[in-house]
Parts: sequence; C-alpha cells; structure tokens
Amino acid sequence: MLQGERTTKQADAYRLRNKKMGFSWKTYLKRYWTLYLLLVLPIAFFIIFRYTPMAYILLAFKKNNILQPPWQVAWAKDNGFEWFIKAFNDKNFIDALRNTIVLNLLDLIVGTPMPIIMAILLNELAYPRFKRITQTVLYLPHFLSWVIISSITLRLFATNDGLINRAFGTAIPFVGTENNWRATYIMLGIWKECGWNTIIYLAALTAISPELYEAAEVDGAGRLRKIWHVTLPGIRSTIIVLLIMNLGHILGSEFDRPFTLSNPLVEGASKTISIFVYERGIQGSQFSLSTAVGLFQSLVCVIFLLLSNWLAKKFGERGVW
Amino acid sequence: MKRILALVLALALLATLTTVFADDGFVDGKFTETRHITVEIFNRNNDGGTDPTNNVWTDFIKQGMLEKYNVEVEFVSVGRWTEVDDLNNLLAIGDAPDICYTYSAPTILNYAGMGGVIDLAPYLEEYGDQLGDLKALIGEENLFYDKDPATGTVYMLQGAMPNNGRITTFIRKDWLDKLGLAEPTTTEQFHDALVAFRDNAETLLGADADKMVPYSTSTDIGWRNDLMSISFVPDDVTDETLFVYGYDDRHLLYPNYKEGIRQLNAWYNEGLVWKDFALYSDSTEEDNMMKAGYVGAFMHNWDYPFRNGEDSIAANLVRNVGEDAMYVPIDCFQNDAGITRKFLGSVVGSDRKTFLPATCEEPLAALLYINFISSADTIKYLQTGLEGTNFELTADGAYQILPATGEWVKNSGNNIDYTMTVNGLYLGEATDASTALSYPGIPADIVIQANAYSKTNGRIVKHFNVGTIVAENDVGTSLTSKRDALLTKAVTASVEDFDAEFDAGMADYLASGGQAIIDERIEKLAEVYGIQVEK
Repeated sequence: MLQGERTTKQADAYRLRNKKMGFSWKTYLKRYWTLYLLLVLPIAFFIIFRYTPMAYILLAFKKNNILQPPWQVAWAKDNGFEWFIKAFNDKNFIDALRNTIVLNLLDLIVGTPMPIIMAILLNELAYPRFKRITQTVLYLPHFLSWVIISSITLRLFATNDGLINRAFGTAIPFVGTENNWRATYIMLGIWKECGWNTIIYLAALTAISPELYEAAEVDGAGRLRKIWHVTLPGIRSTIIVLLIMNLGHILGSEFDRPFTLSNPLVEGASKTISIFVYERGIQGSQFSLSTAVGLFQSLVCVIFLLLSNWLAKKFGERGVW
Repeated sequence: MKRILALVLALALLATLTTVFADDGFVDGKFTETRHITVEIFNRNNDGGTDPTNNVWTDFIKQGMLEKYNVEVEFVSVGRWTEVDDLNNLLAIGDAPDICYTYSAPTILNYAGMGGVIDLAPYLEEYGDQLGDLKALIGEENLFYDKDPATGTVYMLQGAMPNNGRITTFIRKDWLDKLGLAEPTTTEQFHDALVAFRDNAETLLGADADKMVPYSTSTDIGWRNDLMSISFVPDDVTDETLFVYGYDDRHLLYPNYKEGIRQLNAWYNEGLVWKDFALYSDSTEEDNMMKAGYVGAFMHNWDYPFRNGEDSIAANLVRNVGEDAMYVPIDCFQNDAGITRKFLGSVVGSDRKTFLPATCEEPLAALLYINFISSADTIKYLQTGLEGTNFELTADGAYQILPATGEWVKNSGNNIDYTMTVNGLYLGEATDASTALSYPGIPADIVIQANAYSKTNGRIVKHFNVGTIVAENDVGTSLTSKRDALLTKAVTASVEDFDAEFDAGMADYLASGGQAIIDERIEKLAEVYGIQVEK
C-alpha cells in the first residue's frame, strides 16, 4: 500500500503522457479487460452492500416506519432532527457514548504500543524456528470468538469460583466492579489481538535495510540503540498510519466484546453504543433512532479520521492518502 | 378508438374485480372457492425434531382447514428464540405470514402504529358468530380484550394460559431430613434452614463443602426471588395501584418491594446466597450446581427441576447424589396478612398474542384458522396425538404422554407452538392429572403439589384497558436490563451500602423511562376509568 503508492505528481505525468499518445479508456479496457472483469465483483459488492443501503440513512430523519421505503415516509419532527434530539436527551445514549469513548481510548492508549513492542521482540529473536512457533502461538487467540473467550474469562476470573481466586484463596472481583472490569476488558483485548496486530509491523520491519543495522553496528551501537535509532524510525510511518486508522474508530464500537463480557454489576461501564443500538433498534424496533445514532457515529469517525490525517501530514508524515 | 377500447376494457375489468370482492364467497360458514393463507410457526431446531412446517401435525391442521372452511394452509417458520427479530424482518419486507403470534405486545402495537397491522374490530363484529370455538376458549368478553378505548381498534387476539402458575420454592428434602429439620412454612424457618445448610456443609457435602450454596439465584432476581420479594407488598394494596406500578412483570415497582430485596441482601451478606450469581448470564452454571447437588434451595418456574425428562435437574440429582436426593416444593413466604401471596397473570391476556399483518389478504380465512386451532378437539389431538404412540390413557382417564420419536415427535412440549391460542395442557377434566404425568420419573403428587403451591393464595390484578401506553413502546428491553442490573447490584452490596445502591439504581430506572410509564398509566387510568391513584 505504501511502497506502491505513487505521488500525485507522478500520476499527473502519466495522464499527460497517455493523452499525448492518444490512449483512451477504450484502449485500456481492450488491453486489460480480464483485469477489469476481475474488478466487477468487488465493485458490485460495494454498490449492493455499501452504497445502496446508504439510501436508508434517510430513516434517521424520517418518522419511525420500516414498512414503507424511507423516501415515502414523512419527515420527523424538528426539521427531521427529532431522533438526534431524542438521542442526546436520552441518558442511556449519553452513558453509552461515554462508555464507548472511554473503552476505545483505553484500548488505543494501552493497546497501540503492545504489538509494536511484541513485533520488535520477535524481530530480535535469533533462532528462526522458535520465532516462527512463537508467532503462530501468538496469532491463535485472534481466531477465538469473544463468546468463547468470555466463558473462559469467567472460569478464570470469577470473584469466588474462578480458578485464579481459588488458587490464591482470594476474592478479587476481576469482572465484578466497573474499574476492574475495564482493566480486564482491555487486557483481554490485548491478549486476543496483540499477536495478530504484529503482522503489519513485522512486515514493515523486513523492509528496513540491513545496511542500516550494519552501519549502526560499525558506529558501536548496541541492541537497544539499534532498536531506538534504526528499527523504530523505520516503522514510524506504519505506526502513524495504523494510529490514524484506529483514531477513526474512536466512536465505532464492537458488539461481541462488550456484550459477552458484560454482567449486570458492570453495566454502567459496559453498555456501549453498539449495545444501545441493538437494544433500541433490533429489540425495540426503534429503527429511526438507531439509524440516527449510527449516522452520528459514522460522522464523528470521519471527522476524527480527517483530523488525524491532517495532523499527521502537518508533522511531516505521509498520512493515509 | 384505441383509447376508448382501452377504457371500456379497463372498466370491464374493474367491474369483474368489484363483483369478485363484493361476494366474499363465504356461504354457510365455508368458502365457495379455496382460499390460501400462511401461518407462523416457531422453529426450535430440536435434535431429532421434524420440519415444523411439514409433518403429521401440520397435515392434520391442513386437512382440517380444507374440509371445514375450504382454506389451504401453508406454514412459515420463525426462530423460537429470535421471534421478534425475525418478525421485524418479515414485516419490513412485506413478507410476514398472514397469521403471526408473539409474546411481545409492544412489537404488535409498534407495527400497528406504522399501519402494519389489520384492525380486527370490524371483522370480529361481523363474523363474531363464526368464532364459537375461540370464544369458548378465551371467553366471549376477551375477544375485545385489547380494544382501544379511544379509537375502538383491536390489533391482537389474546391467547390463554390455562395453567397460570408461575413460581414455586424448592428445597432439598434429603438435607432437611439429614439435619432433622421440617419443611419450612415461614420465612423465618426458611432462613433457619439455609443457615443450617451453610453451617453443616461438611456433613452435607463432605469434601465438596466449599461448594455449598444454601440458596441460589440468578441475575433475574425479579423472577428468582419473586415470592420473597412480594411477601413485603402490603396485602391491602388496591388493583388500581398495582396496575399503575405494574409495568414490570417482575413486580419491581410494587409498593415496599425494596424490603424484600433488602432481606435477600442481608442473606447474601450472611453467606447464604450463591456468591457469584451476578457474573453468569445464562443458566448452565447454576443448573450444573443443582444437578451436582450443591444447591440447598431456590425459587423458579414451578416445574423447573422436573423439566427435560432424563436430563432434568431431579434426574441428574438422583444420578449424582443418590436415590433420596430430591427437591420438594414448599410454600413459606407470608405477607403482612399472614398468607403466602402469589401475583399471577390472568388466564387470558398474559401469554401469547395473535395478529394479522396488513399484508394479509384473507382476514376472514385467517380468523377462521384461529377459530379452528382454538377448538377443543383440535387442541386435544395436537396436544395428545396418537394413542399408543404419543400417549396412553390411564385408568382414571389421564393422558400419560409417551416420548415419541420419528414422525410423531412433537417439536414443542404438548405441541404448544401449533396451538397458538393456548399455551399449556388444555384437556378439560383430564388436565391436572395429565399434567402430573407429563414429567417422567417424578412422583405425580410432587408435581401436583409444586403446581398447587405456585397458585396458592393467587391474586390476579384486574385488567384495566386504557389503550396503548406510548411510553412503554421505546424502552422495553433497556428497562429490563436496568432492572436486572439494579437488583443485582443492590443484592451484592454490603448491608451499609444497600440503600445507596438500590436508590441510585431505582433513580436511574425511573429516569430511563420508568417514571414516564407510571405517569402515563396514572393519567390514562384517570382518563378512561376516572380513577385517581396517588403518585
């Protein structure tokens, strides 16, 4: 994605050249028709499952009625903003909003450095077979569903009957108070995804020229110095791109993870927007309200994405586009 | 010329269409031309079950409808545990079955509000005399149970639940015997028994003493502690008050309910209640503890330990612990009048509801189906089945249900999914005796006793038909989870923190829509019945 990307200048030059040589889109279609044919499916996918449903965003501004197509339904009150106003007057929504932001921020702060550290550690492993086995083992939790993880969690961390508390004769409420639950939630997230997230960093690490390490060695740098002065700068742009993408999800919320890990004692911390939408929309048939909430969520995500991309460029990085 | 011809043809077509529709082809209680309707049926995906849309039971129904009314019936399956979600989808794409049923009245009213449900009132008025079997089942007065007092619309028909027993308390009889205790008949004796279980864990469980749970409950405390909680509700409280504060079917808003929870909180802090109940959202863990023999007492559906035949809690308990290990029903939570009060749902009106989506083109045929499925003969056949295969008649005329397999298997207990207007055995005089026989391996007298206790001193709050309470539409599921959270937190709090936890949770519950419901109920009650209830 990064290596193959052309700058706008280059692209302009290409276009100019093509124009001079009299190439039109027809020429391309004729020459590369097999490639274009391959593109048809993904494009159809995006049109059918991504763009067509966008018409239904209208629901967010209309009366709650899913029996008619949204363009036939009457507009909602308050110039169509009835549902947005309702959501922001709803204590449950505000709570869900807060919980989503808190959990995602914690995930971002604690979760971002972990795969980087892990990738560097893996990179430093000298014995290739051990490295490969370690990597595979680290990827495994990624393939478990949250449903399974949540029941393992209870077996291990239940306040009184959990294996850990039984082993140490303690009664620590790992998932029984809101703050402890947040910590457990974050740690489980790291455990599950950390290994998987190292993949991109490991790929970036292989792109660093070995000459740089050799040069550093000649200059007398030890392991830590090499990591600090060669490895980290080498993957800096990757780190920033991933950070931008994650910032774009700051208001997005997973469903399975908070839903399965939650229990009534910690609802105050675990009810995220996705659960709010599930309860109101799918269970309570409040389709307009949940569409409005979803739209708000997407909007904030886009704003964050643009903002962080702009910031990245400001600091001299390449950004996502 | 062409244009005139087209006009003439169009008019002619219109004329024929009108005549077709004007003559509904319904003569002497039967259609002259075969009609076609689709009917919802739950799909439980049971192991060894049959296709719910096509089996010996549907054949019986299809044949009966064709012979009696000349109506062709086709079944459409809907997931039993995702019924509301599935119906939402089907209704949204205009593909819902002509006859739908659900437990959720708000779902129906929500769709009615969008214009998606047929108003049954005119049909019930016009064809009421064709619905004799339905009337016999639910009572003529209940045909208009949900008639809106303001608009006169009827969007659903209520089903019956002949056996409206809800909850019974169970206790380990063998433990009581071992400790020389009698079956508790008061709250105090019950408490004493739990304390004795706790203190004699070594005697009762030996090496597993640390697994002792004198009294178990779940995060659904409203259900699982109901009898104790409502024993604190004053006996002289009026039906009007109970209606106003009766939105929550777990009785959360009933006067003085908090004190019942306070008592459970005290017991929790005395180490009498399962410590980790708050963390488990499904019942597997608790069931396993009961089956393994660690649980002394619990409150649950009146037949809970007897359900599931060989895999029932009772059967597992005997296998794991020994022949004499068993849960027996008791009835011990007295209120201020000294009686063991139970709040029961009415026989009609508190269970399943049937409705016709606006896409149903044959409302009359659909109503006739509902009538057919409500007839005592139809119900009897569907619930009992084939003699020798599905049941044996005992000497006293009761039906001993046999575990049938193959094509005669019933996907739902007693085929309740097909008998959509009645939930539970409905066999006339043979009902009680047959109910007792429907739990293989469980002594009949214990089953009868458990059911009787669940209804002893039962009180059914009067039905006030005030029309739709708008505030109830948006908040249903979120209030349910708020309730569970508030009760769970209050019970697991320390005794000193109990008030703070309960009050904070209740304030949150009320602010999240609970208060709006109470206010609207007060307002509508005054409007329709002219009755004032103090806030």
